[in-house]
Amino acid sequence: MAAIAQVKSRRPSLQLPVWKALLLSLPMLLISSFLWVPNLSGAGDSLALIAGIIALLGINTIFFFMLYTGKTDRYRAVMFIIIAIALPMDFIPWMIKTYGSMMLTDEIVYSGGASFCPLTMPMILIPALVKRVIIFPGELLPTMAHGAFSLMFIIWVAASLSVGMGWCSWVCLYGGWDEFFSRLRRKPLIKNIDRRWIYLPFGMLLAIVVLSAITFTPIYCEWFCPFKIATEFQAPVNLLTSIQVGIFVVLFIGLVVVLPILTRRRVQCGLFCPFGALQSFLNKINIFEVRVDLDKCSECKQCLRTCPTFSLDESSLKSGKTLITCTKCSKCIDGCPKGAAYYHIKGTSLKASPQTARILFVYAGFVLMLIFGGEIVNALYRIFKLITTGSML
Amino acid sequence: MIQGFLLGLANGTTCLVFCIPVLVPFLLGEGKSVPNNLVTLSKFLGGRLGGYLLFGLLAWATGNFLSGAAGLQIPAYAIAYIGLAILLLTVGLRAPAPPASACVVKSAPAALRRWPALLPFGMGFLAGLKICPPMLLAFTGAANSGSLLGSLLLFLAFFLGTSIYFIPLSFLGAFARLPDLRIVGRFAAVIVALYYLFSGILMFAGGV
Repeated sequence: MAAIAQVKSRRPSLQLPVWKALLLSLPMLLISSFLWVPNLSGAGDSLALIAGIIALLGINTIFFFMLYTGKTDRYRAVMFIIIAIALPMDFIPWMIKTYGSMMLTDEIVYSGGASFCPLTMPMILIPALVKRVIIFPGELLPTMAHGAFSLMFIIWVAASLSVGMGWCSWVCLYGGWDEFFSRLRRKPLIKNIDRRWIYLPFGMLLAIVVLSAITFTPIYCEWFCPFKIATEFQAPVNLLTSIQVGIFVVLFIGLVVVLPILTRRRVQCGLFCPFGALQSFLNKINIFEVRVDLDKCSECKQCLRTCPTFSLDESSLKSGKTLITCTKCSKCIDGCPKGAAYYHIKGTSLKASPQTARILFVYAGFVLMLIFGGEIVNALYRIFKLITTGSML
Repeated sequence: MIQGFLLGLANGTTCLVFCIPVLVPFLLGEGKSVPNNLVTLSKFLGGRLGGYLLFGLLAWATGNFLSGAAGLQIPAYAIAYIGLAILLLTVGLRAPAPPASACVVKSAPAALRRWPALLPFGMGFLAGLKICPPMLLAFTGAANSGSLLGSLLLFLAFFLGTSIYFIPLSFLGAFARLPDLRIVGRFAAVIVALYYLFSGILMFAGGV
């Protein structure tokens, strides 16, 4: 006990004084109000207003505690999981209301009725550049089907410039599922995972990019996406589509539920997702990174054992850097007993204040969470509607 | 012949895109130097030329017996897809050779020693059998040429026109010296193989 206390006392804290945390939370309150209030006022429904106010208070409380306690990962994970759960809670009732089912018919797909998803980006880029064809006939908003790709592309580039691979722990609408299931057990049942599996997302990226370019179809969406089953999928009307739906179910249960529970890692994100692989290359153009101070590091390897996306290994630790797949989730920073892991801004001194880098990164990440997490208000609204009317539609 | 060359030149990028799923994972998975990759690429292109000439033959035959050839096409493509998948699986799942394996290779039976060298040729041949939109155009032109020689020459010219775009691919292997990229190439080969295997089986099963 004394040894633990000694370690804890040596650990530098990222905690902020209450007044400072409150002051730094105020801009986020303004940003969140600016982003979310226009949607609420248009609803003309008192339930929507209540849902919006509760959501605004909730997310700003989370942000305050993130700053105040210095525990970035703990509160990021809460928000990340809420966003992932909110998406199907809002999206599936919307699908049922609009199309009568969460299953898409050929007519809906060919008319561009499927919702646009950022995960399609790696497959769309080459056909769009070479043949000027958007191979995913989707929409982002019902009123702007044809501009969906352009808007998504701009948002994606902006987000990548802001947080890089941080997308996968702060912005992604699906990663929260992995995050949730990976946190259910206190200790992992499977500890030793062959390091070669970390290359599977890159292999998957290469395969789906070239296959999509030759077939002019979004191969990942048709065959490999584990999250189809939690959002929308082609109706199983024949052998082919039945097999596809079967694959989606198996991938979701295996990669998103079972393996994260057994390993306490985000298996889908770290060992499968091709979008994450593409995003990791964009880490190079982003200014934020996670580093390890080798003077402070006691080589306990706690960070290696807990990194949810397998983004640290022996050699990277020796160089004081994470691998390119680091999602900047801050789990290693929160968990390091010596406070050796820290956020860093590229180009600045390694001895520069880690707190400043952390606050700047948290701001960028949280604002993107707000932009992509608007579903929270809608999901809350649908829950209230279920309670008061018995229907989420 | 000029028509075939221009057709190949105009559509070479599309052909490249059709062949990349086979060639890139293979080159990355093999992890050889740039000169060695040029040899591999040559073998691949040689195989592809064989496939194209076979198509020239088929186009000529189709021109004469249009109705008869239609029934054979689907099983032929299905076999080509499955064969391609098996070759890619061989590349993806084959254990990488250890650095000091020269003696092991030397002691292997002669037929087995030759097998890895034949892989790119076989893959090129099967890739050449794949139908892609420009190939269909060339096929139509060759079928209409009326003579066997004219059909073969058109496909030879088509092959030359498209092959120009393949040369930069040989430099991919330079990156493959890194063991990491070799593993990526192997994973990609297995995923692409599974896709073609499934497509081939579906073709045999008569679609969906």
